[in-house]
Amino acid sequence: MNHVIIGNGIAGVSAAESIRQLDGSGSIVMISDEPVDPYCRPMISLVLEGVIPPSKLPIRDSGFYEEFNITPVLGSRVARMDVDAKTLFLSDAKTLPFDTLLIASGADPRPIKAPAAHLANIFFMRNQHQVLKMLEVLPQTRHALVLGGGLVGFKAACGLLHRGIDVTLLIRSGYPLSLQVDEIAGAMILAELTRRGLNVRVGVEVTAFKGIDSVTGAILSDGSEVSCELVIVGKGVLPSISFVPRDRIQVDLGIVVDDHLETSCSGIFAAGDVAESMDIARKTRWVNAIWPEAVAQGRIAGMNMAGRAVVYKGSLSRNVIRIFGLDILAAGWVNAPDDPRFAVLSEHNRRLNTYRRLVFEGDRLIGAILVNRIETGGILTAMIQNEIPVRGSRRKLLEPHLSLKSLMF
Amino acid sequence: MNQVIVHPERCVGCMQCMAACATAHSRTRQLFSAIRETPLPKSRIHVGVGLYDEGFPNRCRHCNPAPCMLACLPGAIYRDWRTETVLIDPDHCINCASCAMACPFGVIRYHEDTSAPPKKAVAIKCDNCLERQQQGQAPACVEVCKSGALTFEDPSKALKRKTDQVSQSISAGFDIPQGSPGLTLLNTIKRAQIAVGKAA
Repeated sequence: MNHVIIGNGIAGVSAAESIRQLDGSGSIVMISDEPVDPYCRPMISLVLEGVIPPSKLPIRDSGFYEEFNITPVLGSRVARMDVDAKTLFLSDAKTLPFDTLLIASGADPRPIKAPAAHLANIFFMRNQHQVLKMLEVLPQTRHALVLGGGLVGFKAACGLLHRGIDVTLLIRSGYPLSLQVDEIAGAMILAELTRRGLNVRVGVEVTAFKGIDSVTGAILSDGSEVSCELVIVGKGVLPSISFVPRDRIQVDLGIVVDDHLETSCSGIFAAGDVAESMDIARKTRWVNAIWPEAVAQGRIAGMNMAGRAVVYKGSLSRNVIRIFGLDILAAGWVNAPDDPRFAVLSEHNRRLNTYRRLVFEGDRLIGAILVNRIETGGILTAMIQNEIPVRGSRRKLLEPHLSLKSLMF
Repeated sequence: MNQVIVHPERCVGCMQCMAACATAHSRTRQLFSAIRETPLPKSRIHVGVGLYDEGFPNRCRHCNPAPCMLACLPGAIYRDWRTETVLIDPDHCINCASCAMACPFGVIRYHEDTSAPPKKAVAIKCDNCLERQQQGQAPACVEVCKSGALTFEDPSKALKRKTDQVSQSISAGFDIPQGSPGLTLLNTIKRAQIAVGKAA
């Protein structure tokens, strides 16, 4: 068998390892536009923050490709593919035939449209290279501007603040992490950030950047101006699917996969940030672009590619974030609409500075937000993921000292 | 290979396993000096309260595949294949709590520890007392458990014993061994107290 994997992120790496576990002799080719060893993408913000050196980023050592007998094709992107001829055409005019294909191409940052966005020192924060470039600019940076209150913008802002740089964070919605948490947790996060000296501006966007070669400031939608020597753009990501023939492979926001992570085209699989799978909590298709799902999907896609029909249960959005004095864990559908179908139970303990919000649909827990005391949050996450009916007291689930046994009968 | 087996029905909630665990993972390995150490040693086994106020010793199951290991961002969680033990490398741990979100049993805690670099909070969980095992000792929690809720034995033998009990229980005229009468009485009293409390 000739297995080809597009992407050497964690989904691609996990898939390659599980293919090799089951298929010792087939060839595995991995294609990536990043000419570096596989590394941990979520940790690049820690390099910006300065708490880990770049040398700690790799997740596999440089002997990885040899050890698993993988042929790496690094530094090139897939330009297009021919599904019938089972062939990939790379940007450097190379062609690659495949028997099974995994599309684990990840996602690219959503571009910004403001004028002068091409100026130097305006960065996306998606890969190791971009963060290393930012580090070069940091010594000259006194003020930084971060766009977007999502995970990337949020981590970038916290990292720069940790380095003692004056940071302004622009958030379009009313509070940070609005996709991950609800209003109350959002307000707790906002208060903590402000207390630590972050300038947060909600409801504003950049209308234009200023500067000659490199950026020196930005004009905001409320007419005000901020000066900055560094801009980090975190306006979300979009699945990298420009090479995917939409007439042959079903694409929605991401590449639609079935419960074996196979696309609508037999023999072609997708995993990681590019894949759109069934969301366990929402019961609809969703792109859950998170590390643990990329690992799980890569593993299972790999097994299926090697001929073992392993079923994927579906994905679940979840995140855990530690910022200064707050720990936040959010899993499942935390912002379910105001509908009698859903019941919400919450408790805000100001003395312990904890907050818990649980969302139920029928007898199932479908969403949970925990602020502080998150150690046993995995129990709730597992309950959502495994769709375990809650038969006992729901209030017990709100307790900060959640005990596994208190849920059992 | 012997493993720690938990028999929750026998737990009386005395929490001696927690003290023993913390001591076994302290610098001095003696209870009276351990309580004066900085950082204060903490237990890696957590006795929780059940629905009927019964104790429940909750510890790492060393799952395979281990969800915490798959979720670990820096790859700090690994398996010692010789003993099937899932371990965390405190040097590589970044204290991100990804494993807290992944562990379905809620057994990982985050704090400073004598095994970790100073002033660095890291993920801490049961290590099967590998150091004690190397010296021919049983894990500290098992050694101290007086009620038989924690045993150190070959899992296949423990499984066989349970299977035999189940098959015997469906044979006519065979009484299921109820454990010690004292434990049965204790658990009955606890349940009755809760029932009375609910009624009032």
